[in-house]
Amino acid sequence: MPPTGPDLSESARPRGKGRPRTAETAAPSLVELLNLVRTGAANTRQELERQSEFGRAVVADRLTMLGDLGLVDESELGTATGGRAPRLVRFAARRAAILVATLDQTAIGVGVADLSGKLLTEHHEAADLTAPPAELAERLTALFRWSMERHAPQGSIWGISLSVPGAVQGAAEGEFLTATPPVLPAWEGFPLVETLTRDFGVPVWMRSSVETMTMGELHAGAGTGTRSMLFLKVGRRIGAGIVCDGQLYRGAHGAAGLIGSLPITSAGRSGTLDALAGSDMIQRAGQQAAQDGRSPMLADLQRRGGEITAIEVSQAAQTGDPASVAILTESGHLIGQVVATLANALNPELIVLSGAIVQTNDTLLAALRESVYGASHPFVTRDLRIIRSQMGSSAGLVGAARVASEQLFAPGFLKEWVMQGSPLAHSAFAALQDRLAAATSPPPPPRSRPGQELAT
Amino acid sequence: MTISGLGPHGERAAPPERVSLLPDDRTAAKAAGWRVAVVLHTLESDWAKQQLAGMMGIFGDCGAAVIDVVDCAFSPDLQVAELDRLIAQRPDAILSLPVANEQVAAAHRRVSEAGIKLVLLDNAPTGLLPGKDYTALVSSDNFGLGKIAAAGLSAHIPPGADIGVLGFAADFFATNEREIAFTKWLQVNRPDVTPRLRRFARIEDAAASADDLLSANPDLAGLFVVWDTPALAAATRLAERGVTMPMATVDLGEAAAIALARGDSLCCIAAQQPFLQGVAAAQTVILCLLGRPVPAWVALPGIGVTGDNVVESFQTVWRQPAPREVLRLLGLSRGT
Repeated sequence: MPPTGPDLSESARPRGKGRPRTAETAAPSLVELLNLVRTGAANTRQELERQSEFGRAVVADRLTMLGDLGLVDESELGTATGGRAPRLVRFAARRAAILVATLDQTAIGVGVADLSGKLLTEHHEAADLTAPPAELAERLTALFRWSMERHAPQGSIWGISLSVPGAVQGAAEGEFLTATPPVLPAWEGFPLVETLTRDFGVPVWMRSSVETMTMGELHAGAGTGTRSMLFLKVGRRIGAGIVCDGQLYRGAHGAAGLIGSLPITSAGRSGTLDALAGSDMIQRAGQQAAQDGRSPMLADLQRRGGEITAIEVSQAAQTGDPASVAILTESGHLIGQVVATLANALNPELIVLSGAIVQTNDTLLAALRESVYGASHPFVTRDLRIIRSQMGSSAGLVGAARVASEQLFAPGFLKEWVMQGSPLAHSAFAALQDRLAAATSPPPPPRSRPGQELAT
Repeated sequence: MTISGLGPHGERAAPPERVSLLPDDRTAAKAAGWRVAVVLHTLESDWAKQQLAGMMGIFGDCGAAVIDVVDCAFSPDLQVAELDRLIAQRPDAILSLPVANEQVAAAHRRVSEAGIKLVLLDNAPTGLLPGKDYTALVSSDNFGLGKIAAAGLSAHIPPGADIGVLGFAADFFATNEREIAFTKWLQVNRPDVTPRLRRFARIEDAAASADDLLSANPDLAGLFVVWDTPALAAATRLAERGVTMPMATVDLGEAAAIALARGDSLCCIAAQQPFLQGVAAAQTVILCLLGRPVPAWVALPGIGVTGDNVVESFQTVWRQPAPREVLRLLGLSRGT
């Protein structure tokens, strides 16, 4: 990671006659040219001139400025097509880094990504999201510090992006968070966003895990190159990510795809999809099967002091335990019925299932396929692929990195900082930092409970 | 014994029993006559030798010919060159321990793109995905190993002391997990203790790193080193400086077992089970070549070893009698 670049509002090189170089005129062209390079739409000066319709002198001047700011690199030569080999214009993705984290019901993951959203390193560990939020924040901070020390020295972090288990209210496009939104009841009143902003001095973004995992799958997983995709996360809650025309559809308030709230009826019982097919139901049904003797495998596990969670039921199903197979089959059928409705409405080319339960057995996937194929119009399922995610929790980290990357370089946001060469100089972020500094410092988080693990 | 860590992509561990071979599997494998190559970080360590021994037995039973065993000498460049050389030989499968992260990722991706089944050991470079870029990862529960070492060392550390942590500079899943777990256990269970960290880039640098660590923190009350070979080098250097302190490490190599029995400085070892890991890795290769589904991450639990259980632990881990020196030091062998 190179050191933080100079804060330049003017190129260090001598300016030619008549070249405009004021902030008002340069910023929009810098934004356009940088995003053409960043997205790979253009990677030579000639392509930039053609696509932006700026003159040669303007493109040359702005590239000099972007080079001085450390945002583009022109050190590499391309392939000659008749004359001299063109100099390639590359986005300097390693100019700074993004810290990313996924907070799941049973695990946290942290990673470091470059500015293009490519993950450089990741680590996952078990966690209990019902633990006091201060403990969770302390662990998150410790893991961020460890990751930075290995992959991104202090001063080269431009943002933190979090993936959380619930829809995030107030996460408008293009804006970093200025306060902690209500996500989980257990976190109420804890200033997670404010703490991270103050401790690391960078803007913080937050999205639901379904949104980040959908973006991760779309950009680095099975969904790469697809235009229409449904992503399903099966856990305690069941959520769907919807990709239309290659873009994540968020809805009016970022709450699209909350299919777990849909009412369903099964075997005389009525409830939400979460309640009748989610991991809580799988766990309860597994414990019941162990107690009433229908599952000798789970009963044996319990006798040896092991806890029966949805994961144990899934693993038992994978090894052929009939009671566990029946539980997972029912869950798969119920989820499949709801997904079939979505598939008929949206006609996706790909459905990707994710979550620890899906990962540890084949039964739920098979049952879901059965339901979707059985309840869909033949045109909908003609070329439809229904697969399991290969990315696991990495999808959330990759997606969170994409969120921060896209927000940092969104034209409206970028034009406010590009002349200074760092988003940390963005006026709204500077104002937030001033406000947080002026606010009374919160009391230090409590130490962990003696003799008890934070998370594992 | 449970697995306390998560896989490189947050996967839940599958136990080695999930990749057991049935007699039918062996028969089908023998009929196929596959060619397999093994690429390891080193062939020098006891861990590597035992891992190979575990693999070779299974491959022999299944009629699979091991056409090459490569020693990468911890060099990413050498590993990339060797993988490209092996791709040209078109084996059916390659078992590889990636010695680095980003530097060797593309070369491993080329293996699976060439249609060769790839099973990874101990490390999955960031960005490589199971089922797409490789078939499965087989490793120890490295997070659990770090916790075992921390708990074992903690008993010898007085309140409020500093503990040295000698980590590995390469970005490597297994050693990262051990380091993170060790410091996390201390933060949670011994918040009075302060970890002081240094990292070495090569085994030959471990002694110098221990020197630096001690010079910068002369009051160290204990030391954790992320595996046994550098731990023994560090212990020797500290002894040369006239310093002894309780130490913990990972891997029950022969020399480490003797050091543990002698009781000079090593007080706890979190032992991997390399022989069984080799067995599980070879079985995973056979199953994926047979077209059977295999879990993304197969993990083996660690074993906490002290002077009290070093003999039986050595037998468990190595499937061999403990070294004569260990038996003599513990008074179990009374001959000369």
